[in-house]
Amino acid sequence: MAFTLRSVKVPPNSASLEEAKSRVFDFFRQACRSIPTIMDIYNLDDVVTKSELRSSISSQIRKNSHVTNPKVIDLLLFKGMEELNNIVEHAKQRHHIIGQYVLGRQGLAQDLDTKDEGTSDFLKNFYKSNYF
Amino acid sequence: MGLGLLTSRTLKSSRILHSQYSRFRPIVTKPKLQSPDASSAAAAAPQPETTPSPPKKPVGGARIHFTNPDDVIEVFVDGFPVKIPKGMTVLQACEIAGVDIPRFCYHSRLSIAGNCRMCLVEVEKSPKPVASCAMPALPGMKIKTDTPLAKKAREGVMEFLLMNHPLDCPICDQGGECDLQDQSMAFGSDRGRFTEMKRSVVDKNLGPLVKTVMTRCIQCTRCVRFATEVAGVQDLGMLGRGSGEEIGTYVEKLMTSELSGNVIDICPVGALTSKPFAFKARNWELKGTETIDVTDAVGSNIRIDSRGPEVMRILPRLNEDINEEWISDKTRFCYDGLKRQRLNDPMIRGADGRFKAVSWRDALAVVAEVALHVKPEEIVGIAGQLSDAESMMALKDLLNRMGSNNVWCEGTGTNPSADLRYRYLMNSSIAGLEKADVFLLVGTQPRYEAAMINARIRKTVRASNAKVGYIGPPADFNYDYQHLGVGPKTLLEIAEGRHSFCSAILNAKNPAIIVGSGLFEREDKDAIFYAAETIAKNGNVIRPDWNGFNVLLLSAAQAAALDLGLVPESSSSIESAKFLYIMGADDVNLDKVPADAFVVYQGHHGDRSVYRANVILPSAAYSEKEGTYENTEGRTQQTLPAVPTVGDARDDWKIIRALSEVSRICLPYDTLLSLRSRMRTVAPNLLHVDEIEPATFGPSLSIDCTQEINLTPFKAAVENFYMTNSVTRASKIMAQCSAMLLKE
Repeated sequence: MAFTLRSVKVPPNSASLEEAKSRVFDFFRQACRSIPTIMDIYNLDDVVTKSELRSSISSQIRKNSHVTNPKVIDLLLFKGMEELNNIVEHAKQRHHIIGQYVLGRQGLAQDLDTKDEGTSDFLKNFYKSNYF
Repeated sequence: MGLGLLTSRTLKSSRILHSQYSRFRPIVTKPKLQSPDASSAAAAAPQPETTPSPPKKPVGGARIHFTNPDDVIEVFVDGFPVKIPKGMTVLQACEIAGVDIPRFCYHSRLSIAGNCRMCLVEVEKSPKPVASCAMPALPGMKIKTDTPLAKKAREGVMEFLLMNHPLDCPICDQGGECDLQDQSMAFGSDRGRFTEMKRSVVDKNLGPLVKTVMTRCIQCTRCVRFATEVAGVQDLGMLGRGSGEEIGTYVEKLMTSELSGNVIDICPVGALTSKPFAFKARNWELKGTETIDVTDAVGSNIRIDSRGPEVMRILPRLNEDINEEWISDKTRFCYDGLKRQRLNDPMIRGADGRFKAVSWRDALAVVAEVALHVKPEEIVGIAGQLSDAESMMALKDLLNRMGSNNVWCEGTGTNPSADLRYRYLMNSSIAGLEKADVFLLVGTQPRYEAAMINARIRKTVRASNAKVGYIGPPADFNYDYQHLGVGPKTLLEIAEGRHSFCSAILNAKNPAIIVGSGLFEREDKDAIFYAAETIAKNGNVIRPDWNGFNVLLLSAAQAAALDLGLVPESSSSIESAKFLYIMGADDVNLDKVPADAFVVYQGHHGDRSVYRANVILPSAAYSEKEGTYENTEGRTQQTLPAVPTVGDARDDWKIIRALSEVSRICLPYDTLLSLRSRMRTVAPNLLHVDEIEPATFGPSLSIDCTQEINLTPFKAAVENFYMTNSVTRASKIMAQCSAMLLKE
């Protein structure tokens, strides 16, 4: 069992945006390096490829691309590190990984048809639940 | 041995003595304690003149009006001067001074019994403590509520009360909101001297609503006084003497009052509790939501107590202008209907006649498809008696945009007139009825149509001996009334001045005419209203300072529906309908609907109209949504959601808004707020919450009626008080009530 990442300490705050950026790249590399392990322990070979997981990680990072405050980036990095740690430690189960990183946020019930195109937010929310 | 050591040693020994004393504190009373003067002297001696705390505010923020400045007297409560009107009791004076006196038998809305003795206070120059609830305050009286004598008196009363009261608080439904429990904690002794057996009393059967555990009764007689004074039934009484004293019905008899649930609230102990609520929940785990009731047109203020997604019970909320602090049994016990017969999924009737659950997307698509292929004049919409103003506004807007103007609310008749507000409102207001001295009830039975208004009339009859004349089918009211006749014939006689009751109206200072809205359904309603208005004109019923012309509505939606102008274009539209949109209307006659018509039912209960529906759209009940309602006196009030909606149900207005978008005539509001601002352009009074908007114009504007009056007698508008709408018809408790209480 790979507990290698457990020793991760809370690093000092990034002094500048450049430093934060380089840390993000470091984190991305670290995550990519642990992909083979993750594929192995969660038995993901038949549902996803390594490159798909890689692009999933990068899309998670890109989701926060608008953030420019180094403090916020540090916090997001910390959360990402936690998540990676949990995954590598096998603190999660297979369906967590599949649900979050293979299928994406929408889950299995993805509505890909074009019926709702052009309808208002009200109607989309109405179909989901009464409380909006 | 140093001095310091000596001191510490004495201190230590004295501490030991103290602890020993407290461990073996004797239960026996000392002669010194038994003499009140000695004990008060003993207690008063060590603390001679403590600086009094600043004056307190009146209990519950009460305010007093001095009608006559000569009648003001001044008394002293705990050293503070208080000005009160003459005739107030000592207890009321203390309340105005901000001192809450413990009490069991005293209740501000009932007569004074003075039998529990819990409210004893000390009055200077009085040899004994006095029962403050029964003692009138006299000028210059010096009342002391916190003296050792008063405390000791209360402690003694508590000890006597607890002598025969079972200690079953852990299994008692009153536990946690029990007056006896609270006051024994606050004023009781920490030990009792009672070692004998407690007495036990046989439980009484008061019907399906009130559970009795008579051993817990402390004989405060609040329930007896409530039944005789407010509810107007002589069912309960006091039997026996001394320790054999019991509350009961003397013979095996059920309590046949439509207000019987209120004895649960006024019982200070757990002797009378709610039978449907028995052992269902503890009161501290409930979440209270302050909302209003929609089972009749009164709009009683209620608190819905819920646990998670379930409504556990309904309690009244104080509102002096509407329901005081009572509610009717239908309001209180209909809540189990909210759990039965609910519609939880959109459904479409298949070719085999069975309903099949579908998604909202499919259901709305089907409805929109049909609606677009129907001629505009064949589209009809009917709002139900529980609909809120917002959804009725949305329904009217939707149908108007589809090109139809055939939309109305059930119960307002085939040809309602919404032009003159005074013709469908209770113009003298519910609280204003107390000023009336003659009532003329035309085709209405307030006891069954609006129990709270009937309680108000009864209060007036009791207080001022007001005369009540009644035209309608024989009925049993709980006050004295004169049965003038059964139909319009008598009404015409009074209108033409040929009846003996005319002189009563003419001689009255504030005569009140109450016309039942059951008459809306009659063909000759214009003529009847014209006759009633003639009586009003002849009897000087409508004056600048008094408007006694009242219409008593039957359901919560009617006033708002008429304010919003839900009036059908043609009275026979239902016969030619091809697309019928029913929004919770279950009492409308659907026999005349053509067989090929497409019927959409939007509602929360699988009730009568569902049998004819082609599509069901599930919506939220009044306990689950925020909605505006206008009661029969024109007062706007709002419900608040207490529990989440059932299944896949949606709020009424949201369904109509979504349907409008699917049928490509999108209504311009996305939120409740924007819908309300649309409502403001139609009926601004529906946004002034908790206010009465009086009718602007009187009958001076109404034109002479040429309609012929039909002499068929009036019918009772409500056949079964307990089951009048879809919620109450689904309720098991209401079914039990109708089976047990109405057969007698």
